[in-house]
This record gives sequence, structure tokens and C-alpha cells, in this order.
Amino acid sequence: MAEETHLSEPEKGPNKRRIGNKKSSKGKKKPRKTFRLPEEAGNFKPKKIDKKMKKLFRKRAREYNSDDETGDEDEHEPKSDDEEANGGHFSSEEEEAGEDGDDQGRQDLNADDGDSENEEDDTVQPGIMKFTEGCRAFRMAFKSIIKKSVQDDALGPVLSAHKKLVAEKLAEEETERKVNREAKKEKHLVAEKGHVKPLNYLDSHEKFLLGVATKGVVKLFNAVNKAQNAQKGLNPSRTKDAKVIKKRRKEAFFSELGKTPALADVTAAKGQTSSGHVEGEGPAWGPLCDNYMLTSSKLKDWDKKPDTIVADELGKVSEDSSSDDD
Amino acid sequence: MARFRNKKNKPFVKPIVMKKQPNVDHITGDKIPKSFVFSRGKLPGSLRQLQSDLRKLMLPYTALKLREKKRNNLKDFLNVAGPMGVTHFLMLSKTQSAAYLRVARTPQGPTLTFKIHEYSLAVDVANSQLRPRCPQDLFKNPPLIVLSGFGNGDQHLKLTTVMFQNIFPAIDINTVKLSSCQRILLLNYNKDTKRIDFRHYSIRLQPVGVSRRLRKFVQNHQVPDLRNLQDVSDFVTKAGYGSESEGDDEAATVTLTSDLGRVNRASTRSAVKLQEIGPRMTLQLIKIEEGLCSGGVIFSEYGNADGKKKQNDQEEDIEEDGDGDEDTEEDGDEDSEDGGDVEKD
Repeated sequence: MAEETHLSEPEKGPNKRRIGNKKSSKGKKKPRKTFRLPEEAGNFKPKKIDKKMKKLFRKRAREYNSDDETGDEDEHEPKSDDEEANGGHFSSEEEEAGEDGDDQGRQDLNADDGDSENEEDDTVQPGIMKFTEGCRAFRMAFKSIIKKSVQDDALGPVLSAHKKLVAEKLAEEETERKVNREAKKEKHLVAEKGHVKPLNYLDSHEKFLLGVATKGVVKLFNAVNKAQNAQKGLNPSRTKDAKVIKKRRKEAFFSELGKTPALADVTAAKGQTSSGHVEGEGPAWGPLCDNYMLTSSKLKDWDKKPDTIVADELGKVSEDSSSDDD
Repeated sequence: MARFRNKKNKPFVKPIVMKKQPNVDHITGDKIPKSFVFSRGKLPGSLRQLQSDLRKLMLPYTALKLREKKRNNLKDFLNVAGPMGVTHFLMLSKTQSAAYLRVARTPQGPTLTFKIHEYSLAVDVANSQLRPRCPQDLFKNPPLIVLSGFGNGDQHLKLTTVMFQNIFPAIDINTVKLSSCQRILLLNYNKDTKRIDFRHYSIRLQPVGVSRRLRKFVQNHQVPDLRNLQDVSDFVTKAGYGSESEGDDEAATVTLTSDLGRVNRASTRSAVKLQEIGPRMTLQLIKIEEGLCSGGVIFSEYGNADGKKKQNDQEEDIEEDGDGDEDTEEDGDEDSEDGGDVEKD
């Protein structure tokens, strides 16, 4: 597995960094770490660096690792996994080297050195790693992560330690929201109580009301017609005409009364009954008698006598009539 | 420099033009009733809409854009009402069980408390109609009021009648112009359910006996589509698919004294057509108080009024009023509390 992937990759993209460490000319800086390019980098350089630089690297690595103490354990794990792969990798390297037909000895030496170094690194220092190995390790780790099928959880990827807590929190939120929603709904219901959307058509009741209203309007319009017909062609500002108008108005009004005796009767009856009641309970019905209404003189004595009503309430008649017979 | 000089210029403040509304009708000399529509307590959205609908209904003699604050109490409104000549208060309030409408006569008139069993907003009504109608000058004149079914001799009903009759300016049939009669408010008392149906219609007049096409032609000013006709005379003679409500009953037709618009001539008969423009309410009279949201209870739908009245006479405080109302309903309590606040302040 490892071999195949490793072999195939350089053929595909020799320019890629992670692969280029074997054949590419880019690796001028890397030989320090990799020691795999003896043709370009100095042969002895790596060994020299080994001693001095290793310490430096270790030191750096230690410093680096010391920072995140918690992460240490996590870091160890993938490394141990990769060690198996590393073995295979190195063997393949050696084979390749042989095939390449470079100086066997040197290559072997280097390879050996690399191995020993690697071992040392693995055992002593977890922080130091060959670049290729790092790449490889990362690749493996990444692959394993990608391969891993994550169960479809509503919570999403959460650290296991927090999983329970988050779930609890979410559940709590959910219930809270539910309660809130219900409360809101209830409130809305209370607010909308009595609010009715009217129907698209006229039902019998609406039709009846419409008829009543129409009747009222017709009555008023007819009354207005009659009253205004009487004073047609006369100028109310002239005193002579004014007198005539007054007379005609009276006539028209009385004729109107005579025509609708029901109306007159009703108003009369109303007046009598109301006056009788007022006499009976006088103070209890005070506001009716006192001038609690508009202070206009016309409305003041609305319950006194039918005759006065007739005389005074010219303006009100239409409304009264419409109100009384329905 | 320019900056400094500009500093001198004071910003232009538009002078507030007070449109003086006459307190007294210039023809009849009657005092014109004016009204405030406002709410007591916090109202939910739909009721706030109802409040604005009611304000529109009460136009033109009402404060359409009355701004109220939470801390405004009844006394504040009362203080404003005096100088402005406001004679009626319409107060909306809301409790757990229902919404309430109180109609009060200022400054010390009786207060009628209605329970709003059902209501529909003007928007709802318009939505329910195929062609809602709202001409421009619809709200320029006060509505007519028609009260029907109230005349069975009960005192509280009589009081209600008088109250509502006086809420709008009285019309003098000798001088009134029919073109100013655009709206009608109908209050229909149902004896069986003891509820009052509150409806608001717009009045439209249509000439009778004219084909729909001609009517539309005269009304709309638009060139008619004559493509399908052989001759111009067809346009007049062809019956077309006139609306079948054309066959109006004679009861709904009137003869006008003067021309009304271009369509309704004095010589022809016109049909009265009503179309509803919200709001729509079903009210129930539950209480009448002597004072403005206080004082003795003259009438109460629930329980006898006498006991309460005595209590109120003894201690003219609203707390007592609240106690007295306890047996009626919980809403009564809040109402009286409102009044109580005012009194204390």
C-alpha cells in the first residue's frame, strides 16, 4: 500500500513539494533534515549538523512541546500509528536508492543514519520528525479522518467530553423555546379574542342590517327632498321669502307627520312614557333630566312633551324616524 | 466665515397652523360635538387598529392623530377636552376576557360601558370585499346615524339612543346638502340577544333605469371600447350584461331635489346603495355610570345597580366602585381602577 502510493506520486507531480524531496532540486534547505539527496547537498554536512543541530532541534522541539502540555498525549498517538508505515517507507526508500544506481555505500550510510536518527527521534524526542515522515503522518492522519464516517448527529462534531453537556443545553433550550412559543401563542389568542374576519358574502343578518340602514337613508333623503322642495326658488336672506319659507316648512313638516302616523304615535308614546318614568323616579334618573347632554336648546327638553318635540326637533326627525320604525 | 455667518441663520421652523374648527355650526347654531378616541391601558395590535378605525369613523370632528402616553390619565384628557370643545370620549380597553368600549360625555356626563363581543377591522371588511370603495371625500363629513330597535321603552336604551344621536352633529333637513351625506353609522339593537350591531356603511347613489354601460361612460370619462359594435347606436341600445341588482325594489330609490354629482340628476330617480366600510362591532351594554367613569351606577347588566350606587354614595371613591363591580366581572375592576387613578391624581 504505502509503497505503491509513494511510487506513483512522484511520477504524477514531480514539482509538488512533498514529493519533491527525492528528486527535485528544490530541496536545498531540506537535506539537513532528510539526508536523502547526496548528489546536491554535501555528504558530510548532515553528519556535522547532526550533532550540533540535533541538540538545537531537540531544544526547540522541547520548547515547542512544553507549551502545549495537554496536546502531548494526542500527538503521541498518531506517531505510534505511523511507525509501522515508517518502516515500510524506509525499506522502499532503500530499494529505490538501489534502483537509482547511485553510490550504494553512501546511500546506505545515509539511509542508516536516517534510520538511526529516526529511531532516536521516535524514542527520545516526539517533536522531531523527518519532513517526509511528517508529511506522511499527516497524510495518513488526514486520510483516516476523511475515511471516518461520522454519524449524523444533530450536535455535529463536538468533543466527546462536551457532548453530553451540549446535548443537555440544547434540550433545555428546546424546551424553553417550546414553552415560550406556547406562552406567546396564548398571549396572541387573548389579544385577538373577539377579532372576527368578516365573510366574503352577505349572510342573512348582514343583509338585514344593510336593509335597515338603506331604509334609514332613504327615509332621510326623502324627508330632505320634501323639506327642500318646499323652499325651492326662494331666497332665505330676504325677509319676505323667509316668512314664506317658514310657513312652507311647517306645512311640509305637518304633512309629513300626517302621512306617517305611526311615526308620530311612536314619538308621542315615547315622550309620554319617558316623562312618566321621570316623574316616578326623578332623582334616580337625574342625568336624563338635567342638562347632561349637549347644551343645545333643541335637545334639552327631548322628553318633555311631544308637541314641543315636534316644534323644535326638525333636524332630528329624520334620525328619530329611522330609529323608531325598523 | 460662511460657516459663522450661517450660524446666525436660525433654522426655518414651519409655523404650526391651527386649523380652527368651528365650535358652532354656522347654519343652525348648534354646538358641534367633538370626540376623542383613546385607549385605557395597553392594547394589542388589532385593537389599536380598531381605535384608529374608530377615529376615522368619528371624523371630521375628532382628533385623528391623538397621541397618548402611558402616563396620561383621564384627567389629562379631560383638561384638554375643555378648551378644545371636546364633548365625547370613546375609550377602548382590553382585559383577559374581552375588549371594552366606553362612551362618555364630558365633562361629567354619563358613561356607557359596552363589551365588545366581536369586532372586525376596516381592513378585514375591505379584504372581504371584491371592490372596496373609498372615495376621497368620504371622511370629510360626519356620518348619519341610524338607530334601530331601541324604541322599546327601556331607560338605559333611551339613554344610549340619546348618547349616540348626540355624538355626531345634528342635521337640519332644510339646509343639509345630500352630497355631504356619504356615510352612515348603523346601530341595531337586537332584543333577544341584547346586543347592538355596530356597522359603518358608505352611501352611494346610482341613477335608476340607465344601462350600466352608459352609467360607466358618464362616470369614468373614458373612451368606451367600440370595437365589437357595428354602430355607435349599439352602444346605447344594446342591453349588455347589466348587473341584475339593477332591478331595485322601489323602497331603495329616492328622488333628489338637486343634482348630486354628474350622474345623479335631480329629475331622475336614484337608487341608494350601501357598501360597508369597517369597523364592525357587536356590542353589549353592560354598565351605565353617572359620572365620567365614576359615580353611581345607573344601570348594570349583571346584578342590581342599587346596592352599588349606595356604596358609591357613601364613599365617593373608586376603590369602592371596584368592590361593587367585583360580582360583575373582573374586567369591571380594571375599568374602575383606571378611573381611580384619575381621581387620585
